[in-house]
Amino acid sequence: MDPRVTGAVRYAEEVDLPGQLYARVVRSPYPHARILGVDVSALPDGCVALVPDDVRDLQPYGVQVQDQTVLALDRALYAGDAVAAVAAPTPRAAEEAAALVDVRYEELPAVLDVLEAVREGAPLVHETHALATGGAAYFGLRPQQGTNVCHRFRVRHGDADAGFAEADAVVEETYRVAGAQHVAMEPNACVARWEGGRLEVWTGTQTLFNLREELARIFGLPLERVRVVSPPMGGSFGAKTFLRTEAIAAALSRKAERPVKLVLPRSEAWLTLNRHPAVVRVRLGARADGTLVAADIDCYADTGAYADSGPGVAQKMGFAAPGPYRIPNVRVDACCVYTTLPPNGAYRGYGQMQSTWARERTLDLLADRLGLDPLDLRLRNLLRDGDMYCTGETMRDVHFAECLESAAAAVGWREGRRGKGLAVMLKGMQTPSRAAIAVEAGGDDGFTIYCATAEMGQGAWRTISLLAAELLGVDVSSIRFAIPDTDTAPYDTRTTSSRSTYMMGRALEAAVRDLRESGGRRGFGEIVNEGGLDPDTGRGIASTHWHQGAAAAEVRVDEETGKVEVVRLHTSVYAGRVVNRPAAELQNEGSMIVGLGTALFEEVVIADGAVVNANLSDYSVPSFADLPGRLTQELLERGGAEIHGLGETAVPPVPAAIGNAVASLGIPVTGLPLTPERVLEAAERRVESPA
Amino acid sequence: MSTEPEWLEPTSLEEALALKAERGEAVTVVAGGTFVGILVNQRLLAPEAFLSLQRVAGLDYMRANGELRLGALVTHRTVELSPLVRERWPALAHAFSLVASPRVRNQATVGGVLADADHASDPPAMLLALGARAVARSVRVEREIPIEELIVGFYETTLEPDELLVEVRVPGGPHRATYRKFRSRSHEGRPAVGVAVCRRNGELRVVVGAVAGRPQWFPQLCDPVADPAEIGRAYAEAIEAISDVSGSAEYRRRVVAVEVRRALEELR
Repeated sequence: MDPRVTGAVRYAEEVDLPGQLYARVVRSPYPHARILGVDVSALPDGCVALVPDDVRDLQPYGVQVQDQTVLALDRALYAGDAVAAVAAPTPRAAEEAAALVDVRYEELPAVLDVLEAVREGAPLVHETHALATGGAAYFGLRPQQGTNVCHRFRVRHGDADAGFAEADAVVEETYRVAGAQHVAMEPNACVARWEGGRLEVWTGTQTLFNLREELARIFGLPLERVRVVSPPMGGSFGAKTFLRTEAIAAALSRKAERPVKLVLPRSEAWLTLNRHPAVVRVRLGARADGTLVAADIDCYADTGAYADSGPGVAQKMGFAAPGPYRIPNVRVDACCVYTTLPPNGAYRGYGQMQSTWARERTLDLLADRLGLDPLDLRLRNLLRDGDMYCTGETMRDVHFAECLESAAAAVGWREGRRGKGLAVMLKGMQTPSRAAIAVEAGGDDGFTIYCATAEMGQGAWRTISLLAAELLGVDVSSIRFAIPDTDTAPYDTRTTSSRSTYMMGRALEAAVRDLRESGGRRGFGEIVNEGGLDPDTGRGIASTHWHQGAAAAEVRVDEETGKVEVVRLHTSVYAGRVVNRPAAELQNEGSMIVGLGTALFEEVVIADGAVVNANLSDYSVPSFADLPGRLTQELLERGGAEIHGLGETAVPPVPAAIGNAVASLGIPVTGLPLTPERVLEAAERRVESPA
Repeated sequence: MSTEPEWLEPTSLEEALALKAERGEAVTVVAGGTFVGILVNQRLLAPEAFLSLQRVAGLDYMRANGELRLGALVTHRTVELSPLVRERWPALAHAFSLVASPRVRNQATVGGVLADADHASDPPAMLLALGARAVARSVRVEREIPIEELIVGFYETTLEPDELLVEVRVPGGPHRATYRKFRSRSHEGRPAVGVAVCRRNGELRVVVGAVAGRPQWFPQLCDPVADPAEIGRAYAEAIEAISDVSGSAEYRRRVVAVEVRRALEELR
């Protein structure tokens, strides 16, 4: 039986090392402040403190921009920035010791809104932008020195101005999407130790090899002197990507000469990594018959005080913004912008939810303007096999129209569309990308798989084991999956962007072939997908494999209070070939519930520069009682098709379908989440400015 | 280093009252712990001692002789599911059924929800509308306190430092009542606005909870024959409202107008 069901599983949080101390982080209460002094003299015996002077000699880190230090050295850049840490014999002693650390600050001007941050004269969060070189800096970064923009990505396809000149109708709107927290059931948890000059870290992470690279850089070690092990995680959704708390634990352990464990309290999740709040402006032009002729889009992704993977998020938000449509003239500018807010990074959907929300809402505005059915407008323009995307790449294995038609049928679109909404989207997969796997034959007919794919509840180990059993012609019970460990697993880009089943599945085929052909005990397989985009024109290969999906929603709105009730929600996702059906269906349903939370409830609320709802009483995730009466999903399969990743595909179209359903009632919503108050405000905008 | 807080665990009411008389406000009373637990975890509360009522025998009774008498340790879930309460005080059972999730309702108590005086909860407004009284006891005296006099502000009651809330009394007899909970986010969320209404013997009580420090009742606006919409508008104008993650003060006033009207219409 699944060890998660029997309780036999040992999650990252449950890894303990003999003699370990427990760490706690001391955080700045100010959104921007100079650190004048850190006094730890009040700490009792038996506690170890880590202060800025302890880490001043360590190298800065950051997977795309090297903008972060193990502790804030001279300036704390957000309310929650780590300025010190303590380690003590018990978690409680650590909590009490942290409260005894006395930090003196001098407040500095904060910048809390993404549009304020790009204005000339805005306080600079970072004076300069030093670019990273490692495995996650896979595209050309375009920092705008002397501004808060750490990456600007552009798409230039055709001639947007000329396109708009020949349009019969042009619509434009600006949208805002709030920040959100991942709310994984298990918090970020790690334990670090030094053994003979070698750093070993057990941590719940989706990105073992990127993390090893970062730790090696920080501590000035060769890669082989750092080991990262990733036990199963109790959820992640992007929260456990790249370097989070591991360097603090490692630096504390180095000073204490003992293993140090760091488990984040729930409230500190909101201070560690959230989803990018964004502002997206969309302008679309079409001929009277609905043929799209031009798109002009600006995306501003608020990455908070540190870039993390924000440049990548902004780039994907940008290249997916035009959506799965044939548009001959496209201009996109996507900026990743610093503010003095907690850092934002990977989150299920990876920027593509934000731009899908804005574009799909605008398509409905366009349909309204042209007097067309929103479904017909989309079908007229959807990409088909062999069409060119705005990046210049030719689209293959294209199923957008099938996804959309299936979703529309599920809500009875053709029988009346009041209270109903549709959305369709494309989402890129990590490109370029590398995956490798080893299969080892043991005694008694068993096989062991060595691979860096992290298990975070998505069922990846089970899925890869099922594939291996099928390829090896054995029962799945004779497949063992080794816990991902940089000492034993071959290099893999990372467990993100819904890529593992697709990439590892293909690597596995090669590994099994190698095992058979070599006649030895060990088979090795590797897959490399090349590609990438020019950051100034958006030309190139955005994605070697496109995630395709559509959503349909039906809502009721209490027009007196603005309360939205989703009564029906459906997604149709292109799966190609399904490997592990229960897991695939759960992925889709889970994505839809995340999308529902984004649509209706979830919002990191900032007041006076600090998060004010960093708890699960004031921050609402959907409960089962919030789910639509009818929540259904469909996995579209094609005989002989390759596996398509589907861990995120159903997230981005859900808020847009719900928003379009609300808008079909004459309420032109632009901001997410659709709290009753925002819906009422939108209803009033309609009254104030009749079309 | 701070010292561990003391955990006092009396097994009888007499013992508990003696401890409360001795320690007064220096002890934090714990019943179900659902509220105190959050405050302690968020480090908003760090008392030197807790006085747990969990082992005090005989405070989890439910009796009805004309009026309903609920021991302070009766849980929300017990009230919600009681056939007796459902039959004779259905609005009360309904209000308790809307609090958070079953996990919380299995633990949270009737005494706790009143003595905490947490503004964003459902039962106090309903109890006030039903004309309930709390029974406070100390080693000196036992007294009844109408709910409108018990809760006076955010987390503030008129309980004396040596008193424990031991019982809640809800008048019996024919009445018609309802409770409407308006949540601005999840179903398990706390109310942004709660409206409790009760008609009894030609009298009307409209009580609005969760919009400010205490449940608000304006007797002068409760004309039993007035138009529901008019009462709703009057309440929206008179009400004191706060802004927080559940909604702005202005928005809450608008919802008050709507939900008061709807609650009254339910009783037509």
